[in-house]
Amino acid sequence: MAVIQFYEEERRNVRKSYLLVFLFTLMMGGFGLLIDYLFSTGPWFTLVFLGIALIQVLIGVFSGPSLVLASTGAKPVDIRNPEHKQLENIVNELSVATGLRPTPKVYYIPSDPTINAFATGLKKDKAFVCVTEGLMHNLSREETQGVLAHELSHVHNQDMLYMTLLSAIVGAVVIIQIFAFRGGLQALAFSGGSRNKDSGCGYAAVFLLAVGLAATVFAFLGRLILLAVSRQREYLADAHAVEITRNPNGLSSALRKIALVPVRSKAANIATASLFMADPLKRAVNERSGFWANLFSTHPPLYIRIARLEAKSPDQVIRELSAGEAQPPNPGT
Amino acid sequence: MIALWIILGVLVLLILWAIGIYNGLITLKRRIENAWSQIDVQLKRRYDLIPNLVNSVKGYMKFEQDTLTKVVEARAKAVSATSIPDKIQAEGVLTQALRGLLAVVEAYPDLKATQEVTSLMEELKNTENLISFSRQFYNDNVMSFNTRISIFPSNILANMFNFKTQPFFEIADATERQTPKVDLTA
Repeated sequence: MAVIQFYEEERRNVRKSYLLVFLFTLMMGGFGLLIDYLFSTGPWFTLVFLGIALIQVLIGVFSGPSLVLASTGAKPVDIRNPEHKQLENIVNELSVATGLRPTPKVYYIPSDPTINAFATGLKKDKAFVCVTEGLMHNLSREETQGVLAHELSHVHNQDMLYMTLLSAIVGAVVIIQIFAFRGGLQALAFSGGSRNKDSGCGYAAVFLLAVGLAATVFAFLGRLILLAVSRQREYLADAHAVEITRNPNGLSSALRKIALVPVRSKAANIATASLFMADPLKRAVNERSGFWANLFSTHPPLYIRIARLEAKSPDQVIRELSAGEAQPPNPGT
Repeated sequence: MIALWIILGVLVLLILWAIGIYNGLITLKRRIENAWSQIDVQLKRRYDLIPNLVNSVKGYMKFEQDTLTKVVEARAKAVSATSIPDKIQAEGVLTQALRGLLAVVEAYPDLKATQEVTSLMEELKNTENLISFSRQFYNDNVMSFNTRISIFPSNILANMFNFKTQPFFEIADATERQTPKVDLTA
């Protein structure tokens, strides 16, 4: 049975995600310890970093979902409209299937012709799912069910919380980086006049610039980890969607339609793009599978997701997609 | 003296472990009960929906009276069924009858075009899905509970506290076992 394989896939994804978070924490710890060891500043730097991270997390938790919905121009569905009613019904069905209660609130992005969806909300009981108007017009009930099951599994697995925490940590490192560089440059300017290398200002400048440099490296690595987790979560949500609906056809057929839409969404931007179920900006990097593309893409390539759902080889899916008038996704190197 | 402490430590650990397992089993059991009540809610929803549906399509479906009577009769049987096996059996028949009705409505283009009928059909599809998903959710929970109480070492505790394997919500009608063919080309 295919379902068993998907359980296996899910377990593997969860394991990888844990590993990624573990590595990230290790890195952050290493960063703090490195500074404290090099400059013997005691635990102070680690504490400051953690404080910044905490503030980041709080901001993310309190403003995240409403901010996202506002920035995409999403509106709540109107159940007097039969199309909207159907959407709401499907979300209800899937909530019963996953034991999710209360049902997430359903939103849509008016006048967005692309096919896409996202979920947001840091708590299971205060979640939102949002689809584009194009999705409602272009997908069958079965396909919509597959897409929404994908979104509900994000909600169910608490992916939003997880991703927000990770991006808050990366954001914290970026804040440290900016402050350290500014402080360092200022200290450099103060000490610039004196030739004395042992002056307090000179020492502080070197120290702060070193911190800034380290923060730059860690921010970059953190960003890569964030992207890797984001991609893993997409695969996991696909697998979970199949587990919920017991039907891989709906989702894979929806992904095929998404792959064939050539236009970009105007509702999404770089900040919100990773929330969507497929890259709304249609960035080329997300459809390649080379080493560098794998490192920098927010979403796994659609053709690989389809291949996994349909148990076909990726090459075959590429051929089928290009036969259907699509721009053939670049298989990369 | 040290040996005594070690024995005491092991004992405390064992008790903590047993509490953990026991609470886990209770949680699973409650989840099953909750899932079962969900099925009940959805079945009641379906009973309420059927009279509306039958009324709104009656006028259009002069030639399909047979399908409609089947639905009405199946509903009456399902509502009056008391024992769980009877209930499951009657629900199976009702599901079959409703599927027949759905298929017939699909075959009447002018009927499908009616706003009232399309929205009722959507409600019916919704209810059918809610029923099958709540059944699936119930069965999944039963599966994890039954697995938990039969594998070592939690089975020791399950036997001690007399946890029994829970029945699956089986599909009574053999024809319902067939997965419906879904056409994606439309």
